[in-house]
Amino acid sequence: MSVRIYRQKWKDASLLLPIILFLGVFFLIPLIGLLVQSVTQPQLGLTNFAELLATSTYLKVLGNTFLVATLVTIFAVLLGFPLAWCITLFPKGWGRFLLNVVLLSMWTSLLARTYSWLVLLQSSGVLNKILMGLGIIDQPLPLVHNLAGVIIGMTYIMIPFIVLPLQASMSAIDPMVLQAASICGASSRTVFFKVFLPLCKSGIFSGSLMVFVMSLGYYVTPALLGGVSNMMLPEFIVQQVQNFLNWGIASASASILIAVTLVLFYLYLKVQTESPTSSNTKD
Amino acid sequence: MNKTLKSSAIALTLTMASMIANANDTMSFVSWGGSTQEAQQEAWAIPFSAISNIKVIQDGPTDYGKLKAMVESGNVQWDLVDVEADFAYRAAAEGLLEPLDFSIIDTTDIDPRFVSDYGIGSFYFSFVLAYNKNSLSSEPSSWEALFDLDTYPGKRALYKWPSPGVLEMALIADGVEPENLYPLDLDRAFAKLDTIKDNIIWWGGGAQSQQLLASGEASMGMFWNGRIFSLQEDGLPVGVNWKENLVMSDFLVIPKGAKNKDAAMKFLAYSTSAQGQADFASLTAYSPINKKSEELIDSGLNAYLPTSYTSDQVSLDYQYWAKNGQEISARWNTWLLK
Repeated sequence: MSVRIYRQKWKDASLLLPIILFLGVFFLIPLIGLLVQSVTQPQLGLTNFAELLATSTYLKVLGNTFLVATLVTIFAVLLGFPLAWCITLFPKGWGRFLLNVVLLSMWTSLLARTYSWLVLLQSSGVLNKILMGLGIIDQPLPLVHNLAGVIIGMTYIMIPFIVLPLQASMSAIDPMVLQAASICGASSRTVFFKVFLPLCKSGIFSGSLMVFVMSLGYYVTPALLGGVSNMMLPEFIVQQVQNFLNWGIASASASILIAVTLVLFYLYLKVQTESPTSSNTKD
Repeated sequence: MNKTLKSSAIALTLTMASMIANANDTMSFVSWGGSTQEAQQEAWAIPFSAISNIKVIQDGPTDYGKLKAMVESGNVQWDLVDVEADFAYRAAAEGLLEPLDFSIIDTTDIDPRFVSDYGIGSFYFSFVLAYNKNSLSSEPSSWEALFDLDTYPGKRALYKWPSPGVLEMALIADGVEPENLYPLDLDRAFAKLDTIKDNIIWWGGGAQSQQLLASGEASMGMFWNGRIFSLQEDGLPVGVNWKENLVMSDFLVIPKGAKNKDAAMKFLAYSTSAQGQADFASLTAYSPINKKSEELIDSGLNAYLPTSYTSDQVSLDYQYWAKNGQEISARWNTWLLK
């Protein structure tokens, strides 16, 4: 009996074989090969890591990377939450329209979207011209080529990645539960904070983890919208690989990035016992 | 009669067979993409293929990391690559390049500044001071103006990567004589740049630099002359000052172990020939490295070519950068992030 179950399990798992092979050959092996360079180039040992962690420039780049990723995650959640809620509340009319807008923006070329922000935000850009035309400001606001530009541009790009998982967990919430809460005398405030928000937790978690990790690895947007003092790790890695052929340092930085991501993922799995899709209230 | 026909048929077949064999010769050419590579294709690859029957496959953009990876893994897909001059010297020193065959490539007419054992200039250009006429009331006449925020307000657009150019410009603006530039006084250069640091917008590529200047986001800055030429062609209100224009060049190099090395040598020979260089210059307003090209270029273009401003030129020292680039970049990053 148990042998049969065991065998069935293996049969099911064998469906994974093609993807495991594919990832192993085309992702895992090259990745390991690359990471090994962090301890072999230019000589064997941990010199690259020592250099990375001892140089204030590199530390600043690391700090910048985490600062940007954190800020982007916070803003993406703050903006994405109401948006996801709207989409869930009106699944037919406005909601569907908004969802399409979110999806459309996701499918548009990243470079085009980043350059559009440049057109909007630069000091001779649309936004500053309008504000100055209305007499609200008399000096153009520095909205781009600095931290503000990076945060605005990246938050916008990350919004779909927070809205989609959030919307999934919100639409899985049975409206009856909320109704039951208010029938039992909870104020709408209490319903939101004590019932609705906890039920969205898994969506918020998975969405923000995705945004945070993706932000850590973003290259184009910060490179175009940021100033140079906002250099993030990916740009730094590209610079080391392409311009300076300094692969030891580059792969050491990449290792740090991957290690941080793995730690975050582990913490996420720890904190998040239920899977994002199981937040329905039927059981 | 019949015999003649037969032998001519054989001859024809043979010719065709050899033509097919030749047409099967291919090589890859790698450059930076955009309008530069289009011009390289039009001026070099198309006529070269017509003459030699060697098909040239365009690839790109140039990526030094990729080049190194190819050479180290022994799987070199690129045959001829357009790189920056200082990289050509560095890559040669690191053993990443094939030595050139000067029995195929004729260098007698090539400007000696752009000839080395492992690479030859593909074209040369100048970093020039350019400005948006709408943003400024008077026209800046030297690099010093770039540091004069009172007379010439606005942001400055400068090249982001630590490579020959920006530091030299800062030193010249600070009063260093061009012949005393090297070795670079880094402390002095960064101190000079510190005075405008908050007003610098950095550009990483040609299109971005054009966008900054054309939109007026930057009122002036340091640009590749060809990019300014194309803005002026489009009728934008952009002015150039050629005083102490800084000469930089791209080199054509053959990665070590390139599969079609011989074809690449021939293509290199064609692209550095007087005609190839003249055709490329006519399309881009970048200067030919072949001294015989000048007479083949329409004189109307002279106003835009660095070749016409040789008395104002300052040559950047690629070999110095090839040796010290790594060290300078570390300083550069530290300074930027401070």
